[in-house]
Amino acid sequence: MASVFTRNKEGGGHAIRRNPYATVALLVLTFLVWIFLVFPVVWILIGSVRTSETLFSTTSFDFTLDHYKTIFRAGFGRFIANSLFVCLIAVVISTVISVMASYVFSRKRFRGKRWLFGSVILGQMFPWIILVTPLFVLFAKIGFLNSYIGLIASYVAISIPFSVYLLVGYLESVPRELDEAATMDGCTQFQTLWTIVFPVMLPGVVATATYSFLLMWTEFLFALAFLTRTNLKTMPLGLVQFFGEQNVDWGAVMAASAVTTLPALMIFLPLQSKLAGGLTAGAVKG
Amino acid sequence: MNVEAHDRRFIVLMLAPIFLFLVFFYGYPTALNLYYSLTDLSLLGMKEGGTYVGLEHYADLLTSKDFYRTLWNTLFWLTGVSVVIRLVLGLGLALLLNSATLKRYRLTTISRLLLLVPWATPPIVAVVVWRWLLDGRQGMINKFLMNIGVIDEPVAFLANVNTVWPALITIIVWNTLPLVTLTFLAGLQSVPDELHEAAEMDGAGPIHRFFHVTLPHLMPSIVIMGLLLVFWTFNNFIYVWLATGAGPGLFTNVLATDIYIKGFVDFHLGYSSAVGMVMAGIMAIFGVIYFRLVALREFKDVL
Repeated sequence: MASVFTRNKEGGGHAIRRNPYATVALLVLTFLVWIFLVFPVVWILIGSVRTSETLFSTTSFDFTLDHYKTIFRAGFGRFIANSLFVCLIAVVISTVISVMASYVFSRKRFRGKRWLFGSVILGQMFPWIILVTPLFVLFAKIGFLNSYIGLIASYVAISIPFSVYLLVGYLESVPRELDEAATMDGCTQFQTLWTIVFPVMLPGVVATATYSFLLMWTEFLFALAFLTRTNLKTMPLGLVQFFGEQNVDWGAVMAASAVTTLPALMIFLPLQSKLAGGLTAGAVKG
Repeated sequence: MNVEAHDRRFIVLMLAPIFLFLVFFYGYPTALNLYYSLTDLSLLGMKEGGTYVGLEHYADLLTSKDFYRTLWNTLFWLTGVSVVIRLVLGLGLALLLNSATLKRYRLTTISRLLLLVPWATPPIVAVVVWRWLLDGRQGMINKFLMNIGVIDEPVAFLANVNTVWPALITIIVWNTLPLVTLTFLAGLQSVPDELHEAAEMDGAGPIHRFFHVTLPHLMPSIVIMGLLLVFWTFNNFIYVWLATGAGPGLFTNVLATDIYIKGFVDFHLGYSSAVGMVMAGIMAIFGVIYFRLVALREFKDVL
């Protein structure tokens, strides 16, 4: 029933102008875009379950789960666990301290604020690669190499600027009267933030945490520089390890790729509507 | 601006963690990097440290042909071309997804869902699968192009100087176009219907409406998205490094990979740090543009 309604409604004034060729062209274009978007990932999934003998064949296809067995025997499960451990801790720390700072940036006036807030959001364009050498030297001195403390702290550091940028943008849409009412009711500022404002800004917090997680989940450079012991390595390093210079075990690479992509996709599906709009929401409202 | 004492304590407590991270992970390493860039520090002689060489590395950089090519690769190919392509395609795709035709055939939702697939794919995986697709011997794209007769000989897309940049940019576009598209789509859906209706009453055609109603409304989103893409792409290391290793030869070398090669392959940390400072300097220029153009307006109540 609903479809009849929409069709009638939209059909109205435009029906005369509708060009059948244009419609067909648009539909074909849409279809081609779909193929471009999805084909590589479908190719990963197909490649991950084909036997090495039929992997490059255009005619035959033999199903196998051997590639998945191979990567987990090679310790890929450990890499995933390591990555999850590092990323989850870093996301929590980064998000909590970003919420704290964003609240103060959004609600308080104090000397040096323009300077401090400016520095934080300009951190977004900071080339992290120049941190690798100095941090490597520093971590070597204080024993943070091959330790997750250094890696987690680095991940928190690189995700702070974007998190604060998103959260302050979000907080600007939360009415200040809310805090004022809470303060009138006798809440301390700390209580106001965590029990009154935080629940209201939760959608923004979730979106921010997701961006942070994805940034860390695929981070390669710091992990490469700071972790050399195999049992500590994170998943991106584990993936690249199947990807030798000379001979590439494509089946294993595809299985590892599938396992790497799945968690990210599972986070994305339920959150997608919240993620995209928030990025420039602050700009559009004004 | 007189704040009460407990208010001040609250502000300091809330900002302390982020301030410490700024100092220890941005300020201090940058200062150290600047110092290294003035020495001949080697990765093999970290314990002894380096000798002070003044601005020698910077003088070398400014007279090196290779460095200018790396700079050109970074600014033109990696950043310029790929950002413009993504903004144009992102806008086009957003208009397509927002079109009455797609809505009529109920294809909007599924298109949005399919957009999530490349977006959720980690950049490393994106590079890996495209390397396979573009491979000269076993690549699907070569087989397809040969079957339909477009090419006679397989092309090693990522190893051929004529195709390597377009191939690299294809990987980057595939991976990051969805975010651009969905951002613009959100912008398009916030254009008030009355604006379009009013323009239509005045006799404005679709093209006129696009340039005078839709585009001005989207402009803030386009500017922010463009700048964010510039930051993310200019500073990116793994697309180029994992797809081509800066090759063939050093044909696709960019600033980020140059830092890595000079520092961790050639062990020349002093020189590599100087490249890093140039990179930070260029980003600082973009930073000023961003601050003036976007931040001051977007955060006018905050700043």
